[in-house]
Amino acid sequence: MASIHKHGISRWIAYSPPVAWTVRQLRELLIGALRQGPIPQHVAFVMDGNRRFAREHHIETVEGHNMGFEALARILEVCYKAGVKVVTIYAFSIENFKRSKHEVDALMELAKLKLVQLAEHGALLDRYGASIRILGNRELVKPDVIEAIDRAVSITAHNKRAILNVCFPYTSRDEITTAIKSTVEQYSTPLDSLQTPSKRTFSESHITQQIRKQMLEEDTDGNSAPQESRSTSPSSLKDAKSVEGGRSSSATTAINSSDKDESYTTAPSYPDPETITAETLDEHMLTAGAPPLDLLIRTSGVERLSDFMLWQCHENTSIVFLKCLWPEFDLWQFLPVLVEWQWQKKKSQEQQKSRALSKAE
Amino acid sequence: MASTGITKREELAFRRGVVNGKQLTAHEREQMLQPFLPPAPIEAAPLKSPKSPRLSQRTTAAPRPKPTPVRTVLHIVLHAVIAFVFSIFFRFRRSWRLFSYKVRGVLRHHHHTPEWIVNDVKNVEQLPKHISVVLEHRDDDEDQGTAGLEGLVQDACEIAAWTASAGIPLLSIYERTGVLKNYVPQLHAAIEKNLESYFGTRRRPTLTVKAPHTISYSPPGTPSTEPTENGATTSRPHLTVLLLSEHDGRATLVDLTVTLASMAQKSDIDPKQIDIPLINAELSDYVSSEPDLLVLFGPTVRLMGYPPWQLRLTEIFHLPDNKGVNYLVFRKALGMFGKAEFRVGK
Repeated sequence: MASIHKHGISRWIAYSPPVAWTVRQLRELLIGALRQGPIPQHVAFVMDGNRRFAREHHIETVEGHNMGFEALARILEVCYKAGVKVVTIYAFSIENFKRSKHEVDALMELAKLKLVQLAEHGALLDRYGASIRILGNRELVKPDVIEAIDRAVSITAHNKRAILNVCFPYTSRDEITTAIKSTVEQYSTPLDSLQTPSKRTFSESHITQQIRKQMLEEDTDGNSAPQESRSTSPSSLKDAKSVEGGRSSSATTAINSSDKDESYTTAPSYPDPETITAETLDEHMLTAGAPPLDLLIRTSGVERLSDFMLWQCHENTSIVFLKCLWPEFDLWQFLPVLVEWQWQKKKSQEQQKSRALSKAE
Repeated sequence: MASTGITKREELAFRRGVVNGKQLTAHEREQMLQPFLPPAPIEAAPLKSPKSPRLSQRTTAAPRPKPTPVRTVLHIVLHAVIAFVFSIFFRFRRSWRLFSYKVRGVLRHHHHTPEWIVNDVKNVEQLPKHISVVLEHRDDDEDQGTAGLEGLVQDACEIAAWTASAGIPLLSIYERTGVLKNYVPQLHAAIEKNLESYFGTRRRPTLTVKAPHTISYSPPGTPSTEPTENGATTSRPHLTVLLLSEHDGRATLVDLTVTLASMAQKSDIDPKQIDIPLINAELSDYVSSEPDLLVLFGPTVRLMGYPPWQLRLTEIFHLPDNKGVNYLVFRKALGMFGKAEFRVGK
């Protein structure tokens, strides 16, 4: 916010009620105009530059974070008024615990204070129809902050129009690992024995036995037949997959798989791991259910992702790196980004159309 | 601040929670906020529950102007104007940038000489150990002469030569469809030929081309150290080119999950043992390590399915509005990387 260094008359004018009112109307108007075009459904922000801002303006680091929070409030208002469904913000990285204790504590206090305040205004949040979700590793947060988090989350949980994802303490690798872990846990919990017959009419071991019988009867060369049997037994399919992953040599897995098949009949039945897809992992990510990330904005000119939304943003997301620091970020910086996004969206739609047309011809 | 449309009193109240030296209560704060709020949602009206007494306040609040037809027309017109003005601006900016890139590209060309490239990176404080580029398989060439597989190979050769000249040992080339992976020997030959045109037969760096899950390809005729005439072995620099595709991203993470799940089913592994170091070790051994620098040759930053796990702290470089592979992007990327600070979490 440049207002820190603004003096006398211009400052007085800027704060005078009529000017403030006009600017507010102008903002509303611009947001309303933006709404007429396509609007990204899911926007993510990396709020970078609070500390540099504080350094440059000779204020306390903590004060810089406070200003950053104000910028966040402004931008959230713009986003929700413009019709963005999900906003994800990178509030605190697991790596941030490496910072000075004083700063970490102050950030935690800030988060707690704002969440408590927010919980006091549940009804106001209903106006925006926004619900809050905290994405991250809860084990790393102190219990009093957890309490504030849970309160804020539960108070807004019934809102469906918009979502604010606060990534707090979060890293993307942690998220992906947790997703993989929970998927593995889900797939390694035995199914109810009652469910299995309805799910699978054929017994795997029976099929394998049949094939073995056929193999014995047929007197073909020993090369092609075992391969056939391998591809039919599901557990060896997994092994084939792991060979693809370069984990073990094919010769040993073939032997292993036949060993395992015998025990398969007595062991509890599990869901087939082959049914795990990218969608399965997607559902185990912290952003499950949110629309795909359309736009990721990082301020302060640093051009890397810093372990944020890796899984979500590597497909079709527009990633924008801005030079301005986060506390300076406002509608006036956001507007060109949004307009450019709309422009690119329109252009890519046109391209797709012309491609489809040329293919049809 | 002028641009936010908030008065001094409100700003102070927001920042400190204080008005006229008095701490605000929750109720007072809400009163102050009333003029800034959007209209109450219509669908929320029947949701009124006795549990939250504050809901009654909302109905007594001053009615906000609803979007009238006049307002809507105004919005549409304004949107059209903004879209029009900006589209002109974007087009001009793109033309100007493309022009300036062309000029700079001609002025600072590498002349197919490694010495020029060495000179370009001489002043750079740090060089990446692993550089990665994203290439695009295009059907039409858009006057760049780089369409289809041939264009891809050509781009890959040039980039490999620049990388070798700059002295970076590992280059990974990402191309979404993975078509290059089917032509590893051919690509090896092509890159080698291009390296020869840069370095000459004697000084040409040795080369390995590989793709995840395949044996690395370095043909028998190219030992890493070759005896020269006077008997001593030259230690020629070595370049490794790694080919990546979309499959090495999400699909590989899924493969890993499948393997882990089937291992867990056989009780070979406890799900609790799955942690970041394990996954990282698996992925960097079988796919690729984390690149230090990712260079995009496209006009905007779009990762197009680049392996997500590896991108953690990778510096991502692109020249806005740039089109196609050229040396300027490469040089600038190295320049930026040289200046970048790495403070993980700090």
